[in-house]
Amino acid sequence: MAKRVTITVDGAAIDTYEGANVLETALEAGICIPNLCHIPGVSPIGACRVCIVEVVEGDRRRMTASCTLEAEDGMVVEAHSEAVLRARRNIVELILAEAPNSRAIQDLAARVGVTRSRYPLRNKDCILCGRCVRVCDEIWQSRSLGLVGRGGDRHVALPFDTRPDLCKRCNNCIQVCPMTITPCPGPMTEGGICALCASQVSMVEDIPDTCIMCELGRGFQCTRWQMVGLDARV
Amino acid sequence: MHRLQDPVALASFRDALQRERTRFETTVTMCAGTACRACGCLPVATAMAEEIERQGLAEKVGLRLTGCHGFCEQGPLVIIDPLGVFYCHLTEADVPDIVARTLKSGEVITDLLYTDPVCGEVVTRESDIPFYAAQDRCLLADNRRLSPTSIEDYIAVGGYSALAKVLTGLTPEAVIEEIAASGLRGRGGGGYPTGRKWAQARAATGQDRYVICNADEGDPGAYMDRSVLEGNPHSVLEGMLIGAYAIGAGKGYVYVRNEYPLAVTHIRRAIDDARECGLLGKGILGSDFDFDVMVARGGGAFVCGESTALMASLQGEVGEPRAKDIHTVERGYLDQPTCLNNVETWANVPQIIQKGAPWFAAKGTEKSKGTKIFALTGHVKNTGLVEVEMGTTLREIIYDIGGGAQDGKSIKAVQTGGPSGGCVPVSQFDLPVDYEALSAAGSMMGSGGMVVMDESACMVDVARYFMAFLKDESCGKCVPCRIGTDRMFEILTDFTEGRGTMEQLETLKDLAWTVSAGSLCALGKTAPNPVLSTLRYFQGEYEAHIKDRRCPAGVCKALVVGFVIDQDACVQCGACFEECPHGAVIEDDGYRIDQGLCEHCGLCVDACLSEAISKV
Amino acid sequence: MERSSLDAILDGRSTEPFGIMEVLQDIQESYGYLPEDAIRKVADSFDVPVIEVFRLANFYKALSLTPRGRHVVTVCTGTACHVRGAPKLLDEITAQLGVGPGDTTVDMAFTLETVNCLGACALGPVVVLDGQYHDHMTPARLRTLLDSVRAADIDPSRTVEATLAEVVADA
Repeated sequence: MAKRVTITVDGAAIDTYEGANVLETALEAGICIPNLCHIPGVSPIGACRVCIVEVVEGDRRRMTASCTLEAEDGMVVEAHSEAVLRARRNIVELILAEAPNSRAIQDLAARVGVTRSRYPLRNKDCILCGRCVRVCDEIWQSRSLGLVGRGGDRHVALPFDTRPDLCKRCNNCIQVCPMTITPCPGPMTEGGICALCASQVSMVEDIPDTCIMCELGRGFQCTRWQMVGLDARV
Repeated sequence: MHRLQDPVALASFRDALQRERTRFETTVTMCAGTACRACGCLPVATAMAEEIERQGLAEKVGLRLTGCHGFCEQGPLVIIDPLGVFYCHLTEADVPDIVARTLKSGEVITDLLYTDPVCGEVVTRESDIPFYAAQDRCLLADNRRLSPTSIEDYIAVGGYSALAKVLTGLTPEAVIEEIAASGLRGRGGGGYPTGRKWAQARAATGQDRYVICNADEGDPGAYMDRSVLEGNPHSVLEGMLIGAYAIGAGKGYVYVRNEYPLAVTHIRRAIDDARECGLLGKGILGSDFDFDVMVARGGGAFVCGESTALMASLQGEVGEPRAKDIHTVERGYLDQPTCLNNVETWANVPQIIQKGAPWFAAKGTEKSKGTKIFALTGHVKNTGLVEVEMGTTLREIIYDIGGGAQDGKSIKAVQTGGPSGGCVPVSQFDLPVDYEALSAAGSMMGSGGMVVMDESACMVDVARYFMAFLKDESCGKCVPCRIGTDRMFEILTDFTEGRGTMEQLETLKDLAWTVSAGSLCALGKTAPNPVLSTLRYFQGEYEAHIKDRRCPAGVCKALVVGFVIDQDACVQCGACFEECPHGAVIEDDGYRIDQGLCEHCGLCVDACLSEAISKV
Repeated sequence: MERSSLDAILDGRSTEPFGIMEVLQDIQESYGYLPEDAIRKVADSFDVPVIEVFRLANFYKALSLTPRGRHVVTVCTGTACHVRGAPKLLDEITAQLGVGPGDTTVDMAFTLETVNCLGACALGPVVVLDGQYHDHMTPARLRTLLDSVRAADIDPSRTVEATLAEVVADA
């Protein structure tokens, strides 16, 4: 029987069990911590770093990913401190510059308050979030594709570009990919995020942890979205 | 070799070996570390052995090939004891003379002696060489005295007596207390108190416990671990044995990078020999302590020097780190309590146990105890391995031991800590080598790499060089490191190729903060250090590149306007014409350079015999 | 004949978790690279999905999925070698061979690699050719070395050492 503990996220005391995933705990409690590589029900890997938070221990602060953080009694977490907001914006800005034409990434950018990128835009068709691989490995146990190579060479690949017999052709890899998730319906603008997404940025600036009901969240089965979405649906 | 049943058997074996060592009247010691082998010491050694035999001296003269002495630029070298005569830069042709004159008649051959580059004087005896004399060679001294493939040598000079002392009279807790009292801190760069790590490993809950030796020395320009593991592998094994006893581990691993083939061979041999003597395996020296060690070779990945990545690699996986919210002392290799330490850390343990914590703690500063080995390289006269007491200043190391600048140039900075570290400018050379002092200055102790840079080094190019290294070696898992190092490299390349803007400088600083704050592991977290430290101390060079499109050191090819042949100085030898790989030197009643074809590689400058070509 | 040495390597493998890496390194040493069928056989033998072995082969620089040339030239690009002019050596060799680091010449004669520090920093710049270390290298000496290797390839009776000695005598 897991031990019940209390953690504090952005000032709110949340009752959960020891070892619980801090990101999921926060989402379920109604606090939106933006995330990208997190998949409900699948082991976290802490790769995208979008969900970073600060763990406060006395007068020391430690920045770490909330998806790989395990709840301990008395843990104090800040998901929207100045340092965290700055880091999160800059991290998403890096992702946006890799795939500015992905509307799902634009949704994410809107969510964290990024409207443009200071870096030369590239047009990658994969942002290496690893969701496809982890879904294939853990949910379907097919172990058919993987993140191959290091550093700048890293890419998602089938072994020797051949689909293994293990592949069940379930297409889940495509379904969880942020590059194929149906994005926001807003009009595209040249070199920046879409106007509808941009209009939501001011809401985010006023209340950083608000849920903006982004399409990315719907596509990602975001726990927070599911709860809010169900209530808000007309 | 036979199994040593207990500490008494070890002691009497040692006595016998020590008597054996005094058998020869004269001993010739030759360094046979990787670098000396690269200089061709093995043919010299073979010639020496043959000549000694031929001259009928085999009964009187012993020849011992040892591990790295650390004075690498002088190789091949020998020391002839008991005279203590030091001969360097030897070739096979020198051997007959050495045997006939020095070994037979005790005559010193002046031509083969070392000349100190600072004062220009010839030095006869090894102990008088300023490079060595200024050091405190607690660890490296043994490299000189023993053959790395001989467990007998190690035992003869006192090896495994610390282990015997532990097994006969110290509880594990007492051992941990002794290491803690010594103040030993991790020598791999992190500087974590070793005693505390051992205590945490012991206290952690788990079925099995492991000790690991991190010999994946990946910092470019650092080779301290190579020389200790190659030259004295038993010292590392003995340290691991004592550590394993202290934390309750039954198994250990030595993870060696595969770019060190000699170290791999030597540690494997040491393990085999130790097993044969009963110093590894079951019931060590008659106690109820069981422990064994295996060697694993790295696959050529710098990130595997990071502890969680190393353990992943050891588990047969790719070397991707994981977040250290839970430390490896609690959940490490195979999710069990694991104590990972660096080669130099392990090598210090036997001496601390044997000579006592107060001996170690008497050296160094308040928080950085003992000695540290540094690899002093780059633009300095005496390059090699330098072991000094913590607290020695950078100035003493670079000038007193290193001999200062080469070729009349002036030294600009020293880079410490490898790609995780930073550059310290010459104005700060009175800083002591101390963990906290170097971190406060924007660099870090690191594993011990110390690259001296003179006015011919461009600090923006240095930052770019490290960023190229890091983005190549990044495992690629997390966004801040994978994309962040790439974008930092992109900006630095813009600077070195004349496209930089001051806005980019601000972006670079913001990005550097982000990579440091957001990365998953220490590779990413420390990746911005070379950029941040060069920005801190050499902002002027950055601004020259950006605002003036000029490289003050003349390194960045794209910012060099061109190369020009001074027709008055030119002797028309045609060397530049022969050398130029781009066909940019035109033969036209003499020689001139076509700026349109010139790729600014600078090879003509190197080739020119009359120094007639200069950069503009 | 190649098949049996793969079997021998697999038969002699360690039961340690690290065993799979040792097997891959041994295959790399025997064959010069990791052929596709070897990787598939290793996956089968260790009962892991082939993607896992494929990942290992791609992650570690010591392992190569493409055949190497007859001669492997490794230029050290560590910090100490860098400040002593390693970039110029790379420029020289790229101009000479027409390939960049990690690639092999079309005639399969040379593979160019870089390594981030061999631990012989005091002797830099260092180049390793077919396992032999060469210290204090300059572009000119590197050119001579490559020429002598090519000469030895054409006429095996002319060893690299002999050709180098001739060149030194001529100079």
